[in-house]
Amino acid sequence: MSLLTVNDIHTYYGNIHALKGISLHVNEGEIVTLIGGNGAGKTTTLNTISGITPATEGQVTLAEQDITTMAPHNIVRAGVVQSPEGRKVFTRLTVRENLEMGAFTRTDGGIERDLEDVFKRFPRLKERENQLSGTMSGGEQQMLAMGRALMAKPRILLLDEPSMGLAPLLVKQVFEAIEYLNRQNGTTILLVEQNARMALEVANRGYVLQSGRITHDGPAKELQNDKAIIEAYLGG
Amino acid sequence: MRKMILLICVLALATVGIAPLAAQDDMMGPSVMLAPGEDLVIGFGAALTGEGLAPFGIDIRRGVELALEDRPTVTVDDVEFNVALDVQDSMCSPEGGQTVANRFVSDDSIVGVIGLMCSSAAEAAAPIFDEAGFSTISASATAASLTTSDFTSFNRTVPTDAAQGLAAADIIVNVLGATNVAFIDDGSAYGTGLVDVIIDAYEELGGTVAIRDAVTVGDTDFRALLEDISATDPDLIYFAGFNAEGARLIEQRFDVGLEDVPFMGADGIYGSELVDLAGDFAEGVYATRPIPASSDELDAFAERYIETFGEEPPSAFNTNSYDATNLMLDAIEAVGYIDDQGDLVIERETLSEFIRSASFDGLTGVIECDGTGECSSADIGFYQITDGAFVQQELEMMEE
Amino acid sequence: MQETTDSGPSGSKSRPKRALSFLRVQNAYAFIGLVLIVIFAWVFFVIEIEPQFYLQEGERARYAWDTFISQFIIGLAQGSIYALIALGYTLVYGILFMINFAHGEVFMAGAYIGFFAINAAEQSGFLESQTALAILLTMGVAVMGSVIVAILLERIAYRPLRGAPRLVPLITAIGASITLQQLFLRLFGSSPRTYPRISLFVGQGMWGCEPVDGTTVCEGIDLISKSYDVLIFNQEVRIRPFFFVILFVSLLLMSALWFFIQRTKTGKAMRAVAEDKDTASLMGINVDRTIVITFMLGAALAGAGAVLFALYNRQVTPFMGFIPGIKAFTAAVLGGIGNVPGAMFGGLFLGVAESVFPSALGLPNQLKDVVAFGLLIVFMIFRPTGIFGEVLSEKKA
Repeated sequence: MSLLTVNDIHTYYGNIHALKGISLHVNEGEIVTLIGGNGAGKTTTLNTISGITPATEGQVTLAEQDITTMAPHNIVRAGVVQSPEGRKVFTRLTVRENLEMGAFTRTDGGIERDLEDVFKRFPRLKERENQLSGTMSGGEQQMLAMGRALMAKPRILLLDEPSMGLAPLLVKQVFEAIEYLNRQNGTTILLVEQNARMALEVANRGYVLQSGRITHDGPAKELQNDKAIIEAYLGG
Repeated sequence: MRKMILLICVLALATVGIAPLAAQDDMMGPSVMLAPGEDLVIGFGAALTGEGLAPFGIDIRRGVELALEDRPTVTVDDVEFNVALDVQDSMCSPEGGQTVANRFVSDDSIVGVIGLMCSSAAEAAAPIFDEAGFSTISASATAASLTTSDFTSFNRTVPTDAAQGLAAADIIVNVLGATNVAFIDDGSAYGTGLVDVIIDAYEELGGTVAIRDAVTVGDTDFRALLEDISATDPDLIYFAGFNAEGARLIEQRFDVGLEDVPFMGADGIYGSELVDLAGDFAEGVYATRPIPASSDELDAFAERYIETFGEEPPSAFNTNSYDATNLMLDAIEAVGYIDDQGDLVIERETLSEFIRSASFDGLTGVIECDGTGECSSADIGFYQITDGAFVQQELEMMEE
Repeated sequence: MQETTDSGPSGSKSRPKRALSFLRVQNAYAFIGLVLIVIFAWVFFVIEIEPQFYLQEGERARYAWDTFISQFIIGLAQGSIYALIALGYTLVYGILFMINFAHGEVFMAGAYIGFFAINAAEQSGFLESQTALAILLTMGVAVMGSVIVAILLERIAYRPLRGAPRLVPLITAIGASITLQQLFLRLFGSSPRTYPRISLFVGQGMWGCEPVDGTTVCEGIDLISKSYDVLIFNQEVRIRPFFFVILFVSLLLMSALWFFIQRTKTGKAMRAVAEDKDTASLMGINVDRTIVITFMLGAALAGAGAVLFALYNRQVTPFMGFIPGIKAFTAAVLGGIGNVPGAMFGGLFLGVAESVFPSALGLPNQLKDVVAFGLLIVFMIFRPTGIFGEVLSEKKA
C-alpha cells in the first residue's frame, strides 16, 4: 500500500525548471532512497513534498489526501516531516529546545520519553542539553538534526543528507538510527543521500535522479549491482 | 541598516530640496486679473493640525470667517466680486510655511494672503512671498524680527513681541517682583525671539537670569529640565511657547517641587485651550497678550463669536484676524480697477504699498501701518487664571 | 545554506580586531557595569570635586546630588516606557528583519482607546469607587486596542509584502504610520485628550499622616498623581510614587514577556521562526500565525505602556507616538535590535541618559535629543551590534 505518491511533479525556481516530471512512491514501512549528484534535484523533491517550494504541475498525495498545495505546517500536521539538509538546527535555541521543536505538532504524552531515548542514542546531546546549539560542532549539530527527526514521530520522514560532513564513525551511528527508526517504530522513510553506498545498504528500494528526472529505479539490491550506477555513484 | 539610514537621508534631502525649486516661478505676473463673475481668492495659512496649535489656527480662521460674513463681496467700480478663501495648513514650522507659500505664489489668482500664523512659518515664507510681490497680513505672528528683516510682503495686525516683551519684563520685575527668573522657550522663532526681547529688558531692570533653556515641541517629559530649573531656586518660571508644551510644564512642575513658583507665559498660552489641557494645575498661571482697546464693538463681537461657534475663543487672535481680513479687503477695493476688457485688475505692488500705509479704525483699535509691516497699536494686557479662566489683572506697579 | 564541513563552533568566525577592542566586551552585563561606573565616576567628579576649584564662598554648585538622584529616577520612569515600546520594535525586527515604523502609532492607538475607557469609567463613577480595578480595565482595553491595530497593520500592510526587498516594507511602515496618525486626527481631532487626574491611595494609617484640624489623619500614599518630599541617600528629593509604579509594572511585563519567549512552546516557536522560517515550518510551526503573535505581543506591551504614559503625562494626541517611537527605536538599536533584554536595558539606559546627561555635562536640557542620538552614533561606531547584540551570521546580516 503506497503511503506517499508523487505523480509527475514539475517545480520551478524562478525561471529554472528544477524538477521535470518526477514520479515516485513510498510504501508503508519502507525505506526508499533517492540518490543522485549535486544539483540533480534531490533536495528540491523533498521541499516540493514538504510544501516549501510547491509544485506547479503534478500531484503529491499522502494516503488518499492531496497535499500538493497545502501550507508546510499543515503538511507536517498531516504526517510528513522533513529533516532538512545540512545543519539546519536552530542555533539560538538550546539542544533541548531544538528537540522539543522536532515534536512541535505532537500532542501525545510520550515526548519526555522520546527525549530520553534520543539522549540515550546520542549521549553527546545529553551532555549539551542546555547549551545553545550554535555553539556545538558541525558533527554535533548533525546529530541534533537527526535527534530532532526522531522526535517528530511522523507517518513518513523525509531525511535530507543526514550523514553529510560527518566522520565515518558518526555516519555509521546515523544509519543505525535510521534503521532503528524504521524497524522499531515502523516509520516510513524517504532518504536522500550522497553517500549512495550506505543509503542503498539500508534501503528497500531506490530512485536515481539526474537533472530533474528519474533515470533508474528498482529494489536497492538491483541498483547496487547496476553497472551504470556503480560507475556513476558508487565510486567504481 | 545602512541602506535604511541612507534612504531616510535621501528622503529628508528630497523634502528640503523640493521647496526652493518650486519657488522658481518666473511666470508670475505683477498683477491679478479677474473676469467678471470670477471669485476673488484670498489665501489663508495657519496651523490647522498639530497638538495644541490647531485651536489657534481654527480661532484665527473663525475671525476671518466672521469678517467675510460681514463682507462676502468686494465692489470695485460698481462691479461686485465674490470673495473666496483658499485655506491651507501651514503648520508651525519653517517647512510648513515654505510649502504653503510656494503653493500660493504658484497660483496667479491668489490676490493676497491672511497669515501665516506662526512666526517660524511666516519667517520662512516671507522671502518667497517677497519674490512674488505678494502681500500677507498675519493676525498672530508676533516675532520681533519679522518687521526688522526688510521683508516687503509681511504685515501684521498684532503687536510685535518687542512690545509684548517689554511689557512682560516690566510686569515680571515691577508687578510680580521676581528677580531670579527661569526662562524657557520652545525653540521656535516666536519663542526664542520673545525670550530674547524679554531678557534684554529684564536685565536692564536689574533681574538675573536663573537659567535659560528650551523644550522641544512635541516632547512630553520635561521633568529633567524642571529639575535643573529647581536647582536654581527661581522665583518665577517664564515660558514662551504654545499650549501643549506649556500645559505639560505647568503640570509637571508639581512633580519636582516647583508648584509654589509662579508660572508666566505669553499670548501663545492664552486661551481656554490651556485650561482644558492643564486643568486645576493651571490655576494661578499668568499670561500677557495684546488686547484690543475695549469698545462696544468688541463686546458685541465677542458675543457674536460665542453665538456663532458655541464656545469661548480658544485663543487670543480672532479679533486680529478679523481686522486683517478687513484690511486686505479695503486695500483690494482701494487699488483695484476695471480695465478696458471689463476685467478686475489688482496690481500687486500698489496693493502692497496701500497696505503698508493703511490706516483705519479696526476692532482691535486703530490700525495704522507704519511702512515696516507693523499695523497694530494694541496694548498689552496682563492676565491670571482664576477659577479656570484667564482674568485680566490691574497693573499695580510695585514701589521700587 | 552554507555547506560548511568545518567542525568548529559556528559562532567563532573570527571578528575583525579593531582599536578600542576593550569596548567590545563580550559580556553585555560587564559592559553595562563599565558604563555605569564611568557615569557615576563622572557625576561624582562634577558634584564633589570640580566645584572646589571654581565655587566662591556661599555659592551653590550648578549640579548637586539631589538633582542627580531626581533626574535618575525620572529617567528610569521615562526609560521604562521607552523599553516597553522598544520591545515591539525588537520583537518584530527579530522575526521579520523589518523595522515597524508604525509601532509608535500602535502605542498612540492604545492611549486613545484607553482614554475612552477611562473616560467612561470616570463618567460612570466607577473610577472613583474602584480605582485600581478601573485602571486595570483601562489597561486591558488599551492593550486590546493596540493589539487589534497591530493585527490589522500586519495583515493589510506587511503580510502582502513578505518576501519583497527589505526597503519595500520599510516604506510601507512609514506610510502606515502617517496613515494611522491622520486617521486618528480625522476621527478625534487634533486637540489633545486629557486623562483624568486619578488618586489611588495605599497604606492608609501607615504613611502620609498630616495634622488636620488638630487630629492626625493618615490618608496613605497616592500612587499615581501626588508627589512627596523624601530623603534618599540623605538628600531631600521630590518623588512621585508613580515613577516607581511605572518602573515596577514595566519590569513585571518585561519579565512576563521573557518568560513567555523562553519557556512556552509558542515562545520557542517564535525564536525558531526568527532564525529560520523554512525550517520552522518543516517542524509544523505555522509561520504566519507566529508572526501575528509577535506583532500582538509587541502591541500589547505598547498598549500597556501607553496607559502608563498617559496616566503620567496625561495628554493624548494623534502625534504622541512619534517621538516616543523614535526614541524607543533608538533604545532598541542601542540594546541590540532583535534582542529582548537589549531593548529593555536600551530603553532604561536611554531614558536615564536623556534625563541625567545634559545636566551632568553642563549642557542645556534642550540638547537632550542631541545627547540621545549622539549616543546612538557613538554606539554605532564602537559597538555596532548594540549592548546585547550578537554578530549576525551571514544568513541574516
